[in-house]
Amino acid sequence: MNVPGLRGSLRVRLLAGTLFWIAASILVAGWGLASLFRQHVTTQFYTELTSHLDQLTAQLTLDEQGNPRLALPLSDPRLSRPYSGCYWQIDLVGDIRGGDSVVAGQLRSRSLWDHVLVSPPGIPADGEIHRHRISGPEGKMLGMVERSVRIDEAADGKPRTFRLIAAADERLMSDPIARFSGILWLALGVLAAGLILAALVQVFVGLAPLRTLRTALGKVRSGETQRLEGTFPDELTPLIDEFNSVLAQNAEVVERARTHAGNLAHALKTPLSVLANAAGRAGNAERSELARLVVDQVAIAQRQVDYHLARAQVAANSRVPGAKTALHPVVEGLARAMRRIHAERQLELIVRPFPESLSFRGETQDLQEMLGNLIDNACKWANRQVEVSAQSSKITLTITIDDDGPGLAVEKREAVIRRGVRADEKVKGSGLGLAIVDDLARLYGGLLDLMDSPLGGLRVVLTLPACQ
Amino acid sequence: MRILIVEDEPTLRTQLAEALGAAGYAVDVADNGVDAHYMGDTEPYDAVVLDLGLPQMDGITVLRKWRAAGRGIPVLILTARDGWHEKVAGIDAGADDYLTKPFHMEELLARLRALIRRAGGHASPELVCGPLTLDTRNSRATVAGQMLTLTSHEYRVLAYLMHHRDEVVSRGSLVEHIYAQDFDRDSNTVEVFIARLRKKLPPGLIETVRGLGYRLSSPS
Repeated sequence: MNVPGLRGSLRVRLLAGTLFWIAASILVAGWGLASLFRQHVTTQFYTELTSHLDQLTAQLTLDEQGNPRLALPLSDPRLSRPYSGCYWQIDLVGDIRGGDSVVAGQLRSRSLWDHVLVSPPGIPADGEIHRHRISGPEGKMLGMVERSVRIDEAADGKPRTFRLIAAADERLMSDPIARFSGILWLALGVLAAGLILAALVQVFVGLAPLRTLRTALGKVRSGETQRLEGTFPDELTPLIDEFNSVLAQNAEVVERARTHAGNLAHALKTPLSVLANAAGRAGNAERSELARLVVDQVAIAQRQVDYHLARAQVAANSRVPGAKTALHPVVEGLARAMRRIHAERQLELIVRPFPESLSFRGETQDLQEMLGNLIDNACKWANRQVEVSAQSSKITLTITIDDDGPGLAVEKREAVIRRGVRADEKVKGSGLGLAIVDDLARLYGGLLDLMDSPLGGLRVVLTLPACQ
Repeated sequence: MRILIVEDEPTLRTQLAEALGAAGYAVDVADNGVDAHYMGDTEPYDAVVLDLGLPQMDGITVLRKWRAAGRGIPVLILTARDGWHEKVAGIDAGADDYLTKPFHMEELLARLRALIRRAGGHASPELVCGPLTLDTRNSRATVAGQMLTLTSHEYRVLAYLMHHRDEVVSRGSLVEHIYAQDFDRDSNTVEVFIARLRKKLPPGLIETVRGLGYRLSSPS
């Protein structure tokens, strides 16, 4: 079954198979029943003709002149009604002048009226019954049986041979067959239609779990659920279970990668701290070239570690399907942390109320990372006030962070976002934050925008995919 | 002021202890979570510098246990873990500040000062009591603009009294806050430091409350 169309669709496969078998069995059944009936009717037709022939044989006698005569008329009334379709005829065969000359129609049924049946040549031997098709009155085709009867005890002492014929209109046979066939094919047609309908319903109902599966998968993709949920038939359950374990494994692999990345950070950063502290002290004491070199290089190394760590985490994260993160707890948690971390600055960090239902289609840690960097940045630059607000449309989540700091010149904004990892970047605390947020947002198909804030400083607008 | 440093990397631990000691703090160190928890639970530290990735018991657990037991010591988390989810988790576990490695020693000192100051309910880094001013940023004490020359122990006693000015501070708690754990403590030395400070300060600033301890307050 490698026909592309069949491979393409389960429904077409199932339907094609079922329809083929329905058609084949209906045809075989119809043909079988029709031939059985035809055989039966034909047998009956000739049985009746033979019985007419037997009666004729029994009633045949000779009158004084030696002409054939019936002792009693035959019982079937159709034989006396003109052109009724049932006929008999007695021919005198040959013996008069010797040879095989035939005097046809010496005696005939009333129904034949003035018609004489013409039998094909050839006289049946004694005891044989021949069947023929001949044309009868009004050009109708007749089925007929004939036999020969020899009578020895004639008045004149001459033996005579007669050919006895019983015939009937073939329509007596074909009409019931036609009627039966009509009804038969109609019935079979209705049956076929019923079966096809049943097959369609069966395929539709049978494949319904696949549609449910597709919906469930869609929910996983859109982040509504973490795993395939719903009840599925026994045949699909192993598939669903396998798929769910793949999802779980995927999440676990990501979690491991994240842990590894964190461990790597820890492993690298503590020695970097030691180096930087040692070099910093030596630098103060001796202003040594080496110490300054170490301090600079440690800063570069730290930047590289930060950047690639963040990238690695991002790359691992955004592939996890089914992640959904509520915005509210993340913003609240960050606000708590910011108020502590920037406690010295006496800032007013305001989170404008937004619906609790707002959700981000992605990983919690990524959202924390993006918002953490943005709010932290705002807190670093703000004079007194930082404001966080959020709205959501059907597909996007927009988070706006305003500060009343010095702001950022329009021409510098692009550079700040696209900075990435650059060795000459020395301003503390303004390095990678926005670039990493921009990377993360892009991986989620989101957007980071910088503009002027109504508070006087910088407004950062982060647009992310929302989750219903 | 007495500080507990919890850090498992020996070189960094030494650097921290030296830098904090140089800044005038009495410093204790711990290199694992279990010891750190016990020390913080039993000694009256004025602040803790806490690493998160620790052997035996991780920093967050140590912090949670302290907070669950009602210990309100100011805690500054110093860690390489710089993810915001980790910072939020640290703060929510009860940390008062969070600094990531690599860090500048000056920043750590500044944050620590601020932490201790805020814990004492002081908003400004300059503590003032009458003519006496203590600038915690550079560990300098001045009387009416004149700088005082103090030994490190004298500074610690004065700083502790300034952070708790107008309160009666017992000799015992002074001892606990100016000496590191492994120091040979002798409460009589406190009287020596007080006597020396009284000579350097305007009269009446430090009064002795009999049977209870000392009180630093403005004479007016």
